[in-house]
Amino acid sequence: MKRSLLLTSGFLSGALFLTGCAGESNSGTEGEEDRTKISFIHWRGEDKAVLDDLIAQFEEENPAVSVEMTIYPSEQYQATGQRLLQDGSTGDVFTSFPGAQFEAIASAGLFEDLSGEDFVSNFDEELISVGQKDGAQLALPYQLVFNMPVYNKGMFEELGLEVPKSWSEFQTMADTLLENDITPIAFPGADIGPNQFMNSMMMNNAPDEDVFEKLQNGEESLTNEWWVKTLEDFQLLEQKSYIQKDALGTSQDSAMAMVANEEAAMLATGSYHMSALLDLNPDLELDLMAPITVEESEAMYEGINTATFMLAVNSKSEKKEQAKEFIAFLSQPEIASQYANETGQHLTINDVEYESEVLQNTAYWIDERKTRFQPRFLITNAQIEAAVLSSIENVLGGAEPMEAAKEAQQIVDENRD
Amino acid sequence: MKTSKSIYLFFLPGLFLYAIFFVYPTISALFYSFTDWDGLSSSFQFVGVENYERAFTGDTVFRKTIGNNLKFMLVVVVFQTLVALAFALIVLKNTKTTIFLRALYFFPTILSSVSVAFIWSFIYDPSLGILNQLLELIGLEFLAQNWLGNANIAIYSLAVTQIWFHAGQMLIIFVAGLQAIPEELYEVAKIEGASKWQTFRNVTWPLLAPSATIVVAYTTIQSFKAFDLVFAMTGGGPNNSTEIVATYIFDIAFRSYQFGYASAISVIFMVIIAIITYLQFKVLRSNRISY
Repeated sequence: MKRSLLLTSGFLSGALFLTGCAGESNSGTEGEEDRTKISFIHWRGEDKAVLDDLIAQFEEENPAVSVEMTIYPSEQYQATGQRLLQDGSTGDVFTSFPGAQFEAIASAGLFEDLSGEDFVSNFDEELISVGQKDGAQLALPYQLVFNMPVYNKGMFEELGLEVPKSWSEFQTMADTLLENDITPIAFPGADIGPNQFMNSMMMNNAPDEDVFEKLQNGEESLTNEWWVKTLEDFQLLEQKSYIQKDALGTSQDSAMAMVANEEAAMLATGSYHMSALLDLNPDLELDLMAPITVEESEAMYEGINTATFMLAVNSKSEKKEQAKEFIAFLSQPEIASQYANETGQHLTINDVEYESEVLQNTAYWIDERKTRFQPRFLITNAQIEAAVLSSIENVLGGAEPMEAAKEAQQIVDENRD
Repeated sequence: MKTSKSIYLFFLPGLFLYAIFFVYPTISALFYSFTDWDGLSSSFQFVGVENYERAFTGDTVFRKTIGNNLKFMLVVVVFQTLVALAFALIVLKNTKTTIFLRALYFFPTILSSVSVAFIWSFIYDPSLGILNQLLELIGLEFLAQNWLGNANIAIYSLAVTQIWFHAGQMLIIFVAGLQAIPEELYEVAKIEGASKWQTFRNVTWPLLAPSATIVVAYTTIQSFKAFDLVFAMTGGGPNNSTEIVATYIFDIAFRSYQFGYASAISVIFMVIIAIITYLQFKVLRSNRISY
């Protein structure tokens, strides 16, 4: 009897204690409720720590506003993220990819027009045009990415190699690497390889920046020389073992491991992998290099850039002013500098000070090199984009370039708007 | 009378949930299949049967996904059923060893599909993967493959993963079916001098038909609707060789913003599954025997 009484009183005490805790928590929540809570959604899980810190700073500067950040995996965000915006309750501030996703969100009218906002002038004018549509600034790209191979500069110096300026030089360089038992290019064909590497492989084969717009409206064809030549170049990489065996089965992590272990000289992805590679092997000395697939005199571009992680305000939001305050905060040069240095990303913000060695060493690509906007993001129809990428996979799987181009063109024709 | 009427009230929660989670989405999909809705905008146009015409006559990838789905389904249905039946016969007795084996065979079922996809992607990795390394170790390096990167075999590699993942569930159904067969029939077969194969052929298999019907029908539907493993392991590639209808619907709806067209494909897909399931039940039921 005594035991059951003890148990009962213990249970009641516990319940009262928990109720007390809940009360304390509620009083805390009441304080929270006085603040306007805005929702910030994006896909960059690797930036959580620095963004948590920046949000804390923002909340300190703006005591009336709190920010709830939700991060989705990038695949999920790209596929379904925009649906969260529809009722305005989520994503007061959200991010968007350029290309098909930007077009879809813009067509649905979910972007608040940011033209005329003071903070727009904090961004490099030339780098934010990808967030414009019909004369309105709908989104502001925050990150500047170079979607071209990262290469082991130290290894090149050791072997006396220079960055090739033509397709023949590229092949000579690749042969030298092979002679030294080094795979020239680690190609993550099982996931992002084709998406990324197609850009630099085609940039000089099709220097017309409207080529994909023309493909979508029927003026161009994948069976034309610019794309067949690109596929032939991919075939050459595969046949001469310039990319690793079984590249289509290689994941991003495996390809990164090859470069980090110095089994491969280049990683066919982009600048966004540099800090991760350095985490795997801090002794690496890295830089960027795109294959030039034409003769030196014909080369118009040296690399690829993408302004992405486009910050935007949900037009359905009831907290647009607070959302804009948050973007204004992120676009301050000193805040952006912290973000850039802690994430290893170049940014589109003016006057950012890059402190990390790898960012400083590659910052010359922003102003001094002739780069073009990532062609893949200029394909606004996702089915056509998939057809283009599939033709690369088809060739790497053994198909003849023209056959692969024809097969892909048929899908393009079926999906043309 | 009053009591019998009140019994119907107990059906209401179930009916309510069924209406919300099945009837309403089905009617919605049918409705949107006649529109050009992009899934985001508040407005759309009615386009009649245009989406259905496109699916049947103007979409090469959709036709390819149907072919991939059929290959995947055939391999999974045949081998998953055989594997589950073999396992069930092995673990039928309730000894300590068979209880352990039953748990072992059932184990993959409790994993999440993402974990399974991760594990098997690693197993299949052409350079770092365990499978190729194992083949090399036992002198069968000529069998080493680019399991997920080769367009000719990737769909079968995925089928193996699917079988590994779900065979344990089917094992439980077969074990229940086997335990329901009267022991006397086996004793009679023994007295009559029937061999093990004859006993299986004439006693076990016919009486297992109800369980087999459930297993085959369920496996067919499950393999036709497979999405998560394919999405996580290959994303439909390389060159659409593993693109199946479910992943294609996802692509069309959420990447291409063509909800109307995706709805039309979903409706076609639903009809195909319904027909196959009906035919299976009909064929398998007609083969049932009772003693």
